[in-house]
Amino acid sequence: MEKVKQKDLILYSGLIILGLAAPYLFSAFKVQLTYLCVLIVLAMTWNLQGGEMGYNTFGNILFYGLGMYLTASVQVGMFFPLAEWTESGGEKTFVHTTAQYFQGIGVGLLVAAIIPTIIAGAIGYAILGLRGHYFAICTLGLGIAAGEIAGGIEIIGAGQGFTTPPFPAEIVDTEARGKFFYFLSFALLVGTFIFVKYIYGSRFRLILNAIRDNEDKAEAMGIQTMKYKIVGWMCSAFFCGLAGGIMGGLIGYIDSTDVAFDGREMGVFMVLMAILGGKGTLWGPVIGATLFHFFKEGLWTLILGWQYVALGVLIVVIVVYFPEGLMGWLREKYPERFGEVIDEKDRKAQVELK
Amino acid sequence: MNKIAKLFVTFISAITLALVSFTSSFAKVEGEYIVLGSAISLTGKYSSNGVHTQNGYNMAVERINKMGGVEVQGKKYKFEIIYYDDESNPKRAAQLAERLIKQDGVHYMLGPYSSGLTKAIAPVTEKYKIPMVEANGASRSLFTKGYKYLFAVLSPANQYLEVAIDLAVEKNGGKGVKIAQAFEQDAFSQDVRLGILDAAKRTGSEIIIDDKLPKELNDMAATLAKVKAVKPDVLVVSGHTKGALTAIRQISEMKVDVPMLAMTHCDAAKLSKQHGKKSEFALCASQWHKNLSYKDKFFGSGKKYAKDFQKEFGYDPPYQSAESSAALLVFKDAFERANSFDRDAVRDALVDTEMQTFYGNIKFGPGGQNVAKPMILFQVRCKGDDCENRVVAPTKWASDKFYHPIPKWSERS
Repeated sequence: MEKVKQKDLILYSGLIILGLAAPYLFSAFKVQLTYLCVLIVLAMTWNLQGGEMGYNTFGNILFYGLGMYLTASVQVGMFFPLAEWTESGGEKTFVHTTAQYFQGIGVGLLVAAIIPTIIAGAIGYAILGLRGHYFAICTLGLGIAAGEIAGGIEIIGAGQGFTTPPFPAEIVDTEARGKFFYFLSFALLVGTFIFVKYIYGSRFRLILNAIRDNEDKAEAMGIQTMKYKIVGWMCSAFFCGLAGGIMGGLIGYIDSTDVAFDGREMGVFMVLMAILGGKGTLWGPVIGATLFHFFKEGLWTLILGWQYVALGVLIVVIVVYFPEGLMGWLREKYPERFGEVIDEKDRKAQVELK
Repeated sequence: MNKIAKLFVTFISAITLALVSFTSSFAKVEGEYIVLGSAISLTGKYSSNGVHTQNGYNMAVERINKMGGVEVQGKKYKFEIIYYDDESNPKRAAQLAERLIKQDGVHYMLGPYSSGLTKAIAPVTEKYKIPMVEANGASRSLFTKGYKYLFAVLSPANQYLEVAIDLAVEKNGGKGVKIAQAFEQDAFSQDVRLGILDAAKRTGSEIIIDDKLPKELNDMAATLAKVKAVKPDVLVVSGHTKGALTAIRQISEMKVDVPMLAMTHCDAAKLSKQHGKKSEFALCASQWHKNLSYKDKFFGSGKKYAKDFQKEFGYDPPYQSAESSAALLVFKDAFERANSFDRDAVRDALVDTEMQTFYGNIKFGPGGQNVAKPMILFQVRCKGDDCENRVVAPTKWASDKFYHPIPKWSERS
């Protein structure tokens, strides 16, 4: 046991060093690396519902979008009249000082973490009673509705979109902005990973699994499933909100349906990445998101115009050949490496039973 | 776990290697080529206009290269463009702009299609001090953010349909009119809306319907039902190509009678071809029309441009293509006047631009918008089944009289 832990330690410290060094090693790729961190966070948090709890949610994009709008709104609203900033036509321009910019984004991210969490609690209370497809369809509606509603609210720019504050001009280093957002997202990734890993070692995960495997039985055993389902969703919302806040600042322009409540892309990608890597595993979403991002960045531009066809083929291949994801496939092939004890007699006995 | 960890480490190192081998980047000027970058909507909701834009860029690149290219410090250079597909998505566009600048080493950018995407790219080009000449981002809010490296060859969006309201008021004997309007939820159309609001205030007109249309626009029956009920004097619709097509389709299906119909993007939608007589009398705002009398030495007149474009791509050029071609002419002119590849020198040269192209006069205002060119209005008119766009305003170029009011559907054959 001790030995395994040591191996883990080496792996984790190696990854952290790689993560910290990445923006210097691959300076030109900072933005893509930031995206990668955010994608992993989204896939990992989706996995908490879709993988562990068995609730396929398309609603996590709601918290991501909320986080984006909240961070930007707070960042502007703390120092300047928000309505004038977003006023369509944008007659006025305000400039954040360096201190204002960072204070704003700090407080903004805090709000972006808390409010989506509360909203997840409220919505979860209302709709987590739904199961299976009904829940999936209901959450699909959440993201779409949020996009349409946000597109009608004048104070956050409505259909005109919301230009987030530009990085302070006093910082002359053009690399600074990229580094700032990269480290922010990397910190979020590390935080999310630690949190999810903690959950994986806890009773909480077993309860989520019990809900996935048989909710009625779990309830019969005295588990208040509703409570755990809501708490699980709130955890996801917390990290999704933060991820959205960071992305908003990085992209620099928030559009209601195409950037914030982007269910068609981000909302689908997070599901796809988790399934690609293997849902219900700790590393699955991480590997899935990484592979997906590399596939997207590497091949996307080589096949201009056909990229979505390629994505479609990818989805088909995943579903047909790796229904359990890469991790699930590996697990099936090499069960002993996942610490599963295979008893040959037992296996034979099972075959005979059939 | 042990083996898995190993597998993971192998995986990471493979990625690392791949990344390192990718980092070879282009130079801004490579050999005899000046490399420009552009993220363009080749897929997604703006794909048809994205292609118009790309065709416009390509046509100009080919023409300029063929006619000797760009002369800087006595050496001839040719233009080359690196394209990426932004999927009509601002998030992707911003990321690709970053990629063009950081990974492909592009030092000069051409704009994407649509205001929303330009809004997403402008902060990036501004941060890296990359001059961007854009031809398809008309939203007024682009020009009030104090961007120093953004130059637009087109007139701002709020000017698109103001003239139409003035025309309606004029036809109404100078009295205010009742306006019904429906606009897509995007930066450009919302800006057109602001222009209408200003015009309505100025002329004492009343807005009786003010609807918002979704982005993936394929139905506006609800708005049209209201229009049928309240009978406005003018119906204004703006929603890019899909908006124009949907409006004509449903107006003719529902037989909505309205004295005046003002729209944007009629020529990009090839309205007169696709809907023929159904689209007759529609009034359209346009940045350019081939009958305008501007000239330059690369494309000659607008008519000649249209002919060459038709030969090359098989359709009549919409203004989106014309303005995109003009963007290249602006870049060429700026490079030659700067006589240098220094980004700031090129930027300063762009500021001083004052030229005539086949597309119109170009001179940039303090915000980067083109202040030397008016918007024009044309009306779809048909002879038999043959429909075309005729310029009706401003009077300097008008080839036809503005036909008003639109006859009722019951009277149309």
